[in-house]
Amino acid sequence: MEVLSGLLSTAILSGGVLALAALGELLAERVGVLNLGVEGLMALGAMSAVATVGATHDPWLGFLAALLVGGGAGILFALATVVVRASQVLCGMALTMGGLGLSATIGRPFAGQPAGATFSPLPIPLLDRIPVLGPALFQQSVPVYLAFLLLPAAIAWLLFRTRHGLTLRAIGENPAACDAAGIRVAPIRFCYVVLGAAVSASAGAYLTLGFVPSWSDGVTAGRGWIAVALVIFAGYRPWRIVGGALLFGLVNALGYLAQARNWGVPSAFLAMLPYGVTLLFMIAPGLLRRGGALIAAPAALGVPYYRDEK
Amino acid sequence: MSTRTTWAVQRVPEVSGGVRLLATALSAILALIVAGIVLRLCGLPPLALGARVLHASFGTRFGIEDLLLLASPLAACGLSVAVMLRVGLWNIGAEGQFFVGATGAAAVGLFLPVGGTGTTLALMALAAAAGGALWIALPAAARLVLGTSEIITTLLLNFVARLLVDFLATGSWRDARSSVTAQTPRIHAAFAKLPRDWHLGGLHWGIALVIALAAVVALLFRYTSWGFELRVCGANREAARYAGMPVGRRLAEAMLLGGALAGLGGMIELAGTVHRLQGGLSNSYGYVGIIVAVLAAAAPVGVLFSALLMAVVLNAGTVLQTQGLPASAAVALVGLILLFVAMGERLSHYRIAVIRPRATPAGTGSAAAASGAAE
Repeated sequence: MEVLSGLLSTAILSGGVLALAALGELLAERVGVLNLGVEGLMALGAMSAVATVGATHDPWLGFLAALLVGGGAGILFALATVVVRASQVLCGMALTMGGLGLSATIGRPFAGQPAGATFSPLPIPLLDRIPVLGPALFQQSVPVYLAFLLLPAAIAWLLFRTRHGLTLRAIGENPAACDAAGIRVAPIRFCYVVLGAAVSASAGAYLTLGFVPSWSDGVTAGRGWIAVALVIFAGYRPWRIVGGALLFGLVNALGYLAQARNWGVPSAFLAMLPYGVTLLFMIAPGLLRRGGALIAAPAALGVPYYRDEK
Repeated sequence: MSTRTTWAVQRVPEVSGGVRLLATALSAILALIVAGIVLRLCGLPPLALGARVLHASFGTRFGIEDLLLLASPLAACGLSVAVMLRVGLWNIGAEGQFFVGATGAAAVGLFLPVGGTGTTLALMALAAAAGGALWIALPAAARLVLGTSEIITTLLLNFVARLLVDFLATGSWRDARSSVTAQTPRIHAAFAKLPRDWHLGGLHWGIALVIALAAVVALLFRYTSWGFELRVCGANREAARYAGMPVGRRLAEAMLLGGALAGLGGMIELAGTVHRLQGGLSNSYGYVGIIVAVLAAAAPVGVLFSALLMAVVLNAGTVLQTQGLPASAAVALVGLILLFVAMGERLSHYRIAVIRPRATPAGTGSAAAASGAAE
């Protein structure tokens, strides 16, 4: 029982990082911009959160710092991809390299030190008394509830229940038609790319203030890329992203458990597990599509929009 | 029809190689200026540091040799990315293919008891190419059969490759006699040094091999029908299919060739410079290879020059280390240059056209040319 509860708790903690990062990526991809810089954004967010917390000892200020830094980097990325309309793949790689390099450079003085303060758990009354599930699900910190409940609910409502959401989705599918209908494509794309970048960067803050909890070079360990893959695997839907994140979290947690209990699998192979599983899930939708199910990307994803081009 | 001379910003669908080169150079310079401003704001002297980077790279014979040694794995990875770019695919996994190639080469070098150094090196190269190709086989199959984007699948395997090398170098292949816990024993088969009277005594024949690889790839693209088909597949896949070219097959071949080239890069680094399989074999060479290929506009011979350029940038990282900044600062600089080059590539498609009034019916030439080019 104890083990199961611990497993689930770890799964939720590590899945929450992926959920936040992927939900941010979803916002950008739904308006048709592929942001491959999530890994760099997370590194920037993780580093600036720890730096801020080291000075202020308030995790929420750290979270805010990550949002702001992520938004700033997002503005740069949106300038390059939405305004200049440069290759989204290249700009994403540039953001990843820039973010990883910059965060390692600035963050070196406090690398390896424990974070100055971390998020404290907020038990939900009564629900946290449920055996096994209670401690795992309802004794988490606020960012966990944010990643698994509040944010996906808000995004799902925005995308699928509002007129503005319809516009967003339409921009991702056919920007030319939106333009003809009088919708301003570039400004909306710009805003959601920046917003998405801020959310993705906050996943880094959650990583270093809630999960690890310290900053070191390479702390993101490819989680940003797994988040990008997760968006594809989840068919660009917020609740499926949350489900997928939980699944990935469970894989991670099993890896940790295997390591702690010494099941005889070399730790390098356990560390490979998340990447291998991600690869599998990248390929799975393709196999499903061949079987008839359809999980399509936004039609205009990755394509810069020019008014004078058909 | 306006009666005054005006101007307009126009977008041109295709630009010449010269314009593109100019745009790339200007973007890279602009990125360096921005980096310099950031350094100045951090209280470091950018010009003095730049001078030190140039001196460290070109000032001494050792500097030049080190630069060439650093450029050769970058060029191999750049070639790998470039070959795939030519058919319109991204290889973000050169890093992993590099490591697996080196692993294959190390396996031969450590465990295959064969006679001469030449035979061993040839077998190592073969194993490395096979390893690199193997590492891209799964993403290639997923891309071509299922349509799974190759960007993330190739990238994910980088992490797996690195962990595999760590596993081997700290585990069963570990050098038991060394106190360093994460490397294999020294592999004795190594590239010979270049002849002493070439005045580049620190260099090995692996560098010549990289140059030869670039030349071979360039010749394949230019003078064989296979290379022609690859280029058509990259330029317009539908047209290639319509012309009856085996598109899927050509894409698969390009991907496997890309993997093999990065794998060979790993072997060259192993047998030429490092001589032991270890996690630090690559200093993000596979990722820098992406920008190497982009800077060269995926031209194989151009890759050699852009690799040299990026080697200077990585050298800057080493110089910055003496100023108390970590080596990762160079990675940030590479990212900055990539961002600017990507934007410059797009901005080079714009031009400012002067539109003159048609004063007389005979003077319509320039206005017609301007409006004609705008379409």
